[in-house]
Order: sequence, then structure tokens, then C-alpha cells
Amino acid sequence: MVGSDHNAAGATNDRGIERARTIIVAGQSSQRTREVLRALRGFTNVIWPTSLEAALEQTGSDDVACLVIADDLREESLDEFLREARELHRNLPIFVITDPDDVAEAVSAMRHGATAVIEIPPSYAVLREEVARTVQ
Amino acid sequence: MKDLPQIVFVVDDDDAVRDSLRLLLKSAGIPGEVYASAQEFLSAYDPAQPGCLVLDVRMPGMSGLEMQHELNLRGATLPVIFITGHGDIPMAVEAMQHGAFDFLQKPFRDQELLDRVQRALVRDTDNRGRLRLTDRIRERLATLSPREREVLDLVTQGKANKMVAGDLGVSQRTVEIHRAHVMQKMEAGSLAELVRMMMAVAPRQ
Repeated sequence: MVGSDHNAAGATNDRGIERARTIIVAGQSSQRTREVLRALRGFTNVIWPTSLEAALEQTGSDDVACLVIADDLREESLDEFLREARELHRNLPIFVITDPDDVAEAVSAMRHGATAVIEIPPSYAVLREEVARTVQ
Repeated sequence: MKDLPQIVFVVDDDDAVRDSLRLLLKSAGIPGEVYASAQEFLSAYDPAQPGCLVLDVRMPGMSGLEMQHELNLRGATLPVIFITGHGDIPMAVEAMQHGAFDFLQKPFRDQELLDRVQRALVRDTDNRGRLRLTDRIRERLATLSPREREVLDLVTQGKANKMVAGDLGVSQRTVEIHRAHVMQKMEAGSLAELVRMMMAVAPRQ
């Protein structure tokens, strides 16, 4: 199952070239997470497939700017998923949202190909900054 | 040339940690050297020495993360295992983003560290093998004439001799001769091997 939100922001870089506009949020992320990502300038689409498998199918599109994996999907094999996603998309930024203080999981995610691991709570600002810095 | 034996370098300002890690490595039959500060290690560091590094994050003076940055600036390939009693996710992410091999929180079980050290030593061997291979390929590339290099670039893009001849404005026979020289100088047995060599030395995107 895949849901989506749209906003009307433009999506061209400073040379006027159209660029990727979709952020995929895999899992049932919080409403706040979706709002933070939707508010990023330059993206017209935030979609949230409810499984890692569905997310992987969605990442094939050229339109995808990054993938955010929400904390409720940790029971699925995150490391295996990251390895598979990296094989398919070497340069796709992949962010993993995790509970605070789970350093071992964060290190494992990084080792398997995550671009960054963000703990929520405490900071949605970090999520916004990390995603914006990497893909905008 | 025979490879130097691998050494596990431990950098930690805590005497007790250094002593226990020294004993742990010795008990496992792994050569180790311990240093009390980043500065002490850096002044003794020899990039040619294979091994891995067990590095404390928090130290007076230069921190472990700062030392990792310094090693990156020097082009070091030594795998780094961070150890810390005060780790958090942002710190671990920063270390991993800058190329750390692993990040371990104290207290840890002896076997946990030894397992990671063994994996880091394997990684170091792989890294050095890859570097030696790319160095050899670059040395061979340097022996090509400018025209041979042009032919190499075009044939590894998948162009047939006839197309290469058209692009360079020379005869097909001339391309065949250059191509034979390229294969010989690069010590490549096939076009596929030549393509793999070029991919190995291509800058990563």
C-alpha cells in the first residue's frame, strides 16, 4: 500500500534543470515526520509505502530524491534491506529514523549503507537539515 | 616484497584500558602497540604499516574523531574501530560517515572486540590489495602514448575499431596496431579485462 502527499513547490535547480522531486518515507512514520518532509522546498511529492519491499519497488523511479525509513519497520530486516537497496541504487540517499540511544543499530545501519541515522525524538530539525543538505 | 605483519594500534588515554587491551591482544596472539594520545600515535604512524586502529573517542588534546579526520587528510586507509563509554547516535553517525570501520560502546566483551579487530584486519588486507592493483594499472597507463590512450578510452567505451578510426581520423589498420600495443602494455588478455582495469582506476561517483 502506498499513500502520498503533494505540495506545489517548484523543483528545479539553479540552472533550471528539473531534478528528483519525490521523497519516499517507508513505514508508518509520524504525522510530524511527514509534515517536516513535506515542508522541504523543492519537493512535490512525499509517498509512504508501508513495507520495505514496497519502498524498494518505488525507488526505481528517476524522480526519487531520497528514501527515509521510519522506525516502525525495524522488525523487518533493515540491514538486509539496506544492502539490497545499495546494490540497486549506489547513490540514493537513505536515511534511517531510530529510537534514541540505540547506537548499535545506528552503527549497523551505517555499515550496511545508510547515509545517516536520525534519532527521533529529540530533533525533527536534524531530520530536516540532513535531508535538505543531502538532496537539495 | 614480503608484506609486513599486521599490527593493532590502540590509542586511549586511559592506562587501564590500554593495559587490558594490550593483554587481550597478546592473549589472542595479535601483535599490538599502545599509545596514550592521538599526537603520540600520529608522530609514530607509518602508512606502509598494515593493521588496524582501536581508537578512543574522547581524549584530552586531539579527540578520536579529530584524529580520524587527520588520518583521512593524510590519505590513510587503516580501518578504525572507535571505542567509547559515552557514545551517542550523532557521534557514531559522524564517525561512520567519515569512514570508521566500526563503533563500539564500552563496556564490551573481549570477544566482541577481537571479532571486530579480525574483520578490520581482513578489510585492511583487502584495501591494500586493491590499492596495489590500482597502482599497477596506473603505472601501465603511464606507459601509453597519447594516441594509445585515446584508442584505449574509445575501445573501452565499446566502440569498434572502425568507429575509433573514424573518430580519430586514422585508418582502421592504424587503430588495430595501437590497440595491440595497448593490450600488450596494459597486460590485458581481453577487452573485458581492459574495461575492468579502467573501472578500477576510475574516480568513484
